[in-house]
Amino acid sequence: MRKSFPVEDLARDDRFVRVPITERMQDGRQVPREAQGSRRNGGRLTPDRPDAPDAARLLMHGIFVGEVQALEGAGRTCWDFDTTGGGTVGNTSAPEVPFQLKLDMARQCWDEARHTEISCKLSAHMGTELGEFAEATFLYEAACNPDPVLRLTGVNRALEGLAIDVFNTMREFGQICGDPVLEFCEDWMLADEVTHVKMGSDWLRRLTEKDPERRERALEFQRVVDQLFSLGGFRGEEDDSPVRLARRFRELAGFETSEIDELADIARDARAQAEDMSRQNREAAAQQVPT
Amino acid sequence: MSTAVGVDVSVTPETFTLVNYDAGEIAEIAANLWQRIGLPEGRSLRLEIDETTPLGRANIVSVDPPVLALESGALEDSHRPRCLSRPGSEDVIGRLLFKLGDRIDPAFGEPPDDDDIPLTVSSAWDVYAVGRLSRLGFPNQRQRRLYQFRVRHGFADQVDAVFNQLWNAEDLTWTGLLELSERATNGS
Repeated sequence: MRKSFPVEDLARDDRFVRVPITERMQDGRQVPREAQGSRRNGGRLTPDRPDAPDAARLLMHGIFVGEVQALEGAGRTCWDFDTTGGGTVGNTSAPEVPFQLKLDMARQCWDEARHTEISCKLSAHMGTELGEFAEATFLYEAACNPDPVLRLTGVNRALEGLAIDVFNTMREFGQICGDPVLEFCEDWMLADEVTHVKMGSDWLRRLTEKDPERRERALEFQRVVDQLFSLGGFRGEEDDSPVRLARRFRELAGFETSEIDELADIARDARAQAEDMSRQNREAAAQQVPT
Repeated sequence: MSTAVGVDVSVTPETFTLVNYDAGEIAEIAANLWQRIGLPEGRSLRLEIDETTPLGRANIVSVDPPVLALESGALEDSHRPRCLSRPGSEDVIGRLLFKLGDRIDPAFGEPPDDDDIPLTVSSAWDVYAVGRLSRLGFPNQRQRRLYQFRVRHGFADQVDAVFNQLWNAEDLTWTGLLELSERATNGS
């Protein structure tokens, strides 16, 4: 079995359709939320939003494909790195990793497989067909770094950190709606995600204990991934952010308060950039209007 | 503009720049639905599409003359950004046209404007409309509608029982619809 698996080769059946993130970013319709001027413009996922049930379905489908990709990412990390070193990932020589790290990744695979099954059942509960919405693959792409420390930082701290924020949002949504199935499932998955992020935080510290330069590279990689995962302000600390940073659970997972503050800043920047790009797209589209 | 038996349909804008929608196709979908639902002849229906937002709000802004307002996301293919989904458009426009038909029918009663209807009642009316649309042979997402109804009324057996009544109903009145929504919420 080959090492380093490109995103294009991930196995999917014909129910699934991928839409590149660049395609979404070229959409000139992404107007600032403040400008939308309807009672739905409070972007937070709460039941009083008129579109709340469908917004929850869409988010649940995103969780489902995220679980599949997290399973694929953790599985690759189990396989791509040896305990003795000397292997390669793609064209890069792969550093060795402790056996305990591979065990942690195996445990995570077990969790992600369970989450995938739970997500399938929750999707059915909410009236969503698998593959009903397009799949974005940027989560798996964060799991392709040839350095295991950077990969774990990208996956276990950035991706799984996003999962903490999303699961907490969905858990609260289920709670407010009185949906015991959603609330219970999300609560249990959230507990697993806290463990996964804690694994990332612990391995980052242990593997870079004597290599501050590598730790800084890993944290810089995490910042880049976190900016991407802020999804133009979809995740953040603004009042109208659909998914809020779950500070308490992030602290339980080993995040320092200063790191969470920095993440909130990154999310604000991501939102500003997305709104700027949207404005440019709209201006470009306006210039194409036939006269 | 598309003309079917009994209705002239116009769509604005006539040319889309931010989405790859064809106004003629949208008009044809609406005209076909108008005819299948059996709405009164001799009307002019206008569909106002807001292509500046990817959101999916859709409502009736006027009954006479009939005008529907839709955000572009309401008609979008979830697999192909900025492209029209025909089944999705049939679902959204069909639901609105059934509700428009209820508003036109004097026997139904006089519901308030869409924006003044509580979300609970609005979701009950949606179920009543989509249930009828499904019996015309259009694809439906029954479980999705049940989930929407549960989010608004609660996750309980009596809520599901009322949902089934609404889904299978053919001749409800506004008062009857309010009573069913109330019964789902309070269980009596």
